[in-house]
Amino acid sequence: MPFSRFRPHPGRIAPALALIALLALFLSGCDTDTPQNTFDTKGEVAEKQAELFYISMWPALAIMFLVLGGLVVIMLRFRERDPSYVPPQTHGNTRLELAWTIAPAVLLLAVGVPMIITLWDLGREPSEDAMRVDVIAQRFSWEFQYPEYTDAEGQPLSVFDQNDFHIPAGREVAFHLHSVDVIHSFWLPKLGGKLDVVPGEENVLWLIADEPGSFSGQCAEYCGEFHAEMRLTVIAQPEDEFEAWVEEQME
Amino acid sequence: MAYAASGHLETSTGLDNRKLLMWLFLASDCLFFGSFIAAYLLYRDRSLVGPYPEDLFDIPFTSVSAFILLMSSVSMVLALAAIQRGNVRNMQIWLFTTAALGTLFISGQAYEFTEFNQEGLGLSTNLFGTTFFVLTGFHGAHVTIGVLILVSLFVVSLRGGVQQKDSLTIELAGLYWHFVDIVWIVIFTLIYLIQP
Amino acid sequence: MTSIAVPRRSPLSEALKGARRAAEDHSSIWSWLATVDHKRIGVLYGISAFIFFLAGGVEALLLRTQLAQPNADVLNPDQFNRLFTMHGTTMVFLVVMPMSSAFFNLMVPLMIGARDVAFPRLNAFSYWTFLAGAIFLNASFFTGDIFAGELGAPDGGWFGYAPLNLERYTPGHGMDFWMLGIQMLGIASLAGGFNFIVTILNMRAPGMTLFRMPVFVWMTLVTSFLIIFAMPVIAVALFELTFDRLFGANFFNPEAGGNPLLWQHMFWLFGHPEVYILILPAFGVISEILPTFSRKPLFGYPFVVFSGIAIGFMSWGVWVHHMYTTGLGTIANSAFGVSTILIAIPTGIKIFNWMGTLWGGSIRMTAPLMFAVGTVAMFTIGGLSGVTHSMVPSDFQQQDSYYVVAHFHYVLFGGAIFGLFGGIYYWFPKFTNKLMNDGWGHVHFWLMLIGFNLTFFPMHMSGLLGMPRRIYTYDSEMGWNLWNLMSSVGAFIIAISVAIFMVNFVISLRRGKEAGTDPWDGRTLEWTIPSPPPEYNFKEIPRVHARDEFWHQKYREDETGRVVPALAGGAVEPETEHAEGAEHGGGHGHGIHLPSPSYMPLIASLGFPIVATGLIYDYALVPVGFALILVGLFGWAMEPATEEED
Repeated sequence: MPFSRFRPHPGRIAPALALIALLALFLSGCDTDTPQNTFDTKGEVAEKQAELFYISMWPALAIMFLVLGGLVVIMLRFRERDPSYVPPQTHGNTRLELAWTIAPAVLLLAVGVPMIITLWDLGREPSEDAMRVDVIAQRFSWEFQYPEYTDAEGQPLSVFDQNDFHIPAGREVAFHLHSVDVIHSFWLPKLGGKLDVVPGEENVLWLIADEPGSFSGQCAEYCGEFHAEMRLTVIAQPEDEFEAWVEEQME
Repeated sequence: MAYAASGHLETSTGLDNRKLLMWLFLASDCLFFGSFIAAYLLYRDRSLVGPYPEDLFDIPFTSVSAFILLMSSVSMVLALAAIQRGNVRNMQIWLFTTAALGTLFISGQAYEFTEFNQEGLGLSTNLFGTTFFVLTGFHGAHVTIGVLILVSLFVVSLRGGVQQKDSLTIELAGLYWHFVDIVWIVIFTLIYLIQP
Repeated sequence: MTSIAVPRRSPLSEALKGARRAAEDHSSIWSWLATVDHKRIGVLYGISAFIFFLAGGVEALLLRTQLAQPNADVLNPDQFNRLFTMHGTTMVFLVVMPMSSAFFNLMVPLMIGARDVAFPRLNAFSYWTFLAGAIFLNASFFTGDIFAGELGAPDGGWFGYAPLNLERYTPGHGMDFWMLGIQMLGIASLAGGFNFIVTILNMRAPGMTLFRMPVFVWMTLVTSFLIIFAMPVIAVALFELTFDRLFGANFFNPEAGGNPLLWQHMFWLFGHPEVYILILPAFGVISEILPTFSRKPLFGYPFVVFSGIAIGFMSWGVWVHHMYTTGLGTIANSAFGVSTILIAIPTGIKIFNWMGTLWGGSIRMTAPLMFAVGTVAMFTIGGLSGVTHSMVPSDFQQQDSYYVVAHFHYVLFGGAIFGLFGGIYYWFPKFTNKLMNDGWGHVHFWLMLIGFNLTFFPMHMSGLLGMPRRIYTYDSEMGWNLWNLMSSVGAFIIAISVAIFMVNFVISLRRGKEAGTDPWDGRTLEWTIPSPPPEYNFKEIPRVHARDEFWHQKYREDETGRVVPALAGGAVEPETEHAEGAEHGGGHGHGIHLPSPSYMPLIASLGFPIVATGLIYDYALVPVGFALILVGLFGWAMEPATEEED
């Protein structure tokens, strides 16, 4: 094999370095404290989902570099030098092909194990002592109802100001999702992944905010003209402050 | 294109192009009916208001019309057998019979639809009305197209346009007709006969 | 041509005779309307698909201009929503699918040594029905007061979820045009699918067993099977939506107990095989390009073929991965999570086979080769992000965000479009006898590669930073500004690269270097016939002894195992024998019989948009449309397929 003829061309190193720099720039996005950053996890569900993502992301990036790098190397090393040269007509290599079928299969199934574990872990029913919130989605706003806090007539506390939805911090909240019109999707990225709000169905999403804070979210299923404006902010408070807020709302 | 000594095109599989086409079309049509049948079955017992199937279905009546369609498949087979033997006259008789029985089936469907409609079942009434009328309506449309094809072949044969060497055309019409019949057997069984 | 009885020497009979004469005059436009020649139909598909690529591209540029900055008001929400609906619908149904059909039409008969497809008039019918549907769909733009900026186009998104797709939530006629237009496109695709399966199974040259077929033909076969089984499902979904919107049915009406998820199940049961329909043809194209320009065979042909077939089967078992967040439950999500992981295997190993093809080769870095390698690279990225999607819990963050938008653009644009561009550069010489300018082809490639990555790579970031898809604007503090700006700049770079391609195409048509029969030292049968091919393709149907038949006619191995030319110097004669049952009209000695041109497929196709228009605006048109379809079909059935022999 004419390996000695392979000399990295300076003109090729610069673009490669530029690409790596660009990739570093992209990856730096993971740490910025932006309102809906899925890597800036603030709750158990988001944490576990991000962990799972890393498990698939690093091997994916590695494979990407291997394949792309491999292609560059191959193109350089085997480029035509003599137009009359016809290389040996290799048809294949069964052992190699079996190997590169089985190896990815093994790797994929290996990654599948934590996937299933996390799926079942997060897919459980909400715990007994989770606080229930009924989320009512409509075009183009949200409403939170708190059935555990009812007034004298038995009506649950109802909040329409979508910049001011409160939940207790450090405690599991079970969001029961209802739509009065089309399919929406309830998404608070820092607390966890989304769940669709389907008319005629009740989907339940449990989330925990580890610490007090303010969490931004928005509808994630196209629902019509003002879908982009169907946003919400959820404020997690320590238990006592939350109770105080409830009392205030009930007046 | 290569012609074999018989004058027919030689094909890599040995199957005539048109026959292969018809089989592929029927396979595809299975997915078509399967999807409508699935919608019906998924929505069975989920109508919020009546009338419901048990209020309306007249099993004896539908059994008779199903039988008529089944018999039309028999006459179709006879039509094909006739033309394969070179008997144009008999083929015409059986083609006509098949078309007539098919038309009788369609009339039965029309009668049933009208009855149901008068009992208060429309397309918009509930899930049963929606899924029932659309499914059986598309089946009826298939039968109607089949009748049109049979009548056309009949008319062409009156002018001497269908001879023994053209038996493949009758065979293809037969394949389509039997398919439409089998779909009805499936619909009749799943929708009318098997009640949860 | 037709046997309709008409009074002799009446104006009508004179007109009909004139039409028939015009159909046979190759230089007249009438001959294009009546053509049943697969090569012309391929050209029609290709030009149409490219025009719609420009339309979809303009839609994309408008979207990206709006999104370049936060809180922009280049487009209002309604315009934005209609444009993204049309962009997606156009690119899927009016660009990638018909461009693939263009290649099926142009190449399959040539690659299997046939004179045409099995059903030439059905082929023409496919094209005209496609064109009718495409024009009908785009006509919707003009049903609003367009000069006031009101676009009448559909606004339900390219997958039109229920119940948003019901009339009360998307009032007006946009969605009606959408559902009826796609229905027509489905009919066109179905007809094409049937045609190519019969062609490939039945019309191969003697000696061409299935395992001697070029991989492009295999991919066409698998794609065609996917089409004939997937299109009926979307047809049913669209019929159900039509009944809901136009006749008050309840298929997707939650108020009557209907389940909106029924629409999603049906759409994706079609939709997932559909994405393989979109990518497999491009896979086939690059499986031809890479061996030619490496000067060695495709590495692992059986594996590549079997993995294509495996993908065909497995594509039916993964559809729920588009629905993980709909609340179907952990069991369903687990099952489809596993099946989705598994489908990565047959898809992935092809990458290695393609790399193995290049390895050890003598690589000529022509424009088609660059696009083929680009396809491999970009599809790898898209495939890998797809694997991350299969991790169900983390998909709950990614679903409906820009991360998904990144993923599918990498596989559909980076994969399918790049591959199809490669095919254009590769086969352009065969049909024009000219070479496209290779230098400008490289410029197109690099600009498009850079522009494409600049547009879509940042979307991984904005998605993971919580940017949902299908939003007409966003706030400045979300942290998405830089990524969106990069995407928008990239989009315009892509546009420039496309412009360069167009100029190259047109100039090369006029003044390109002459190509000759076999400009690339190709391996497959299309390179044995003149450029452009004569109407009958092959003077004599070739006899095939091996895979890469033409290569084996040109080269052999000497005693030391080196590959050397088979004939000492001089031109290579395509080796043909008289096939059994000679070409000469069954022994009549009249020469090659070609199918006659016919206007009937066009006439039948015209009925569809009339029916559709009638359903929306005036029921009186519906029977008119059906009558036209019937007239076309009857005329088609009654006319002889070829010139009658005496």
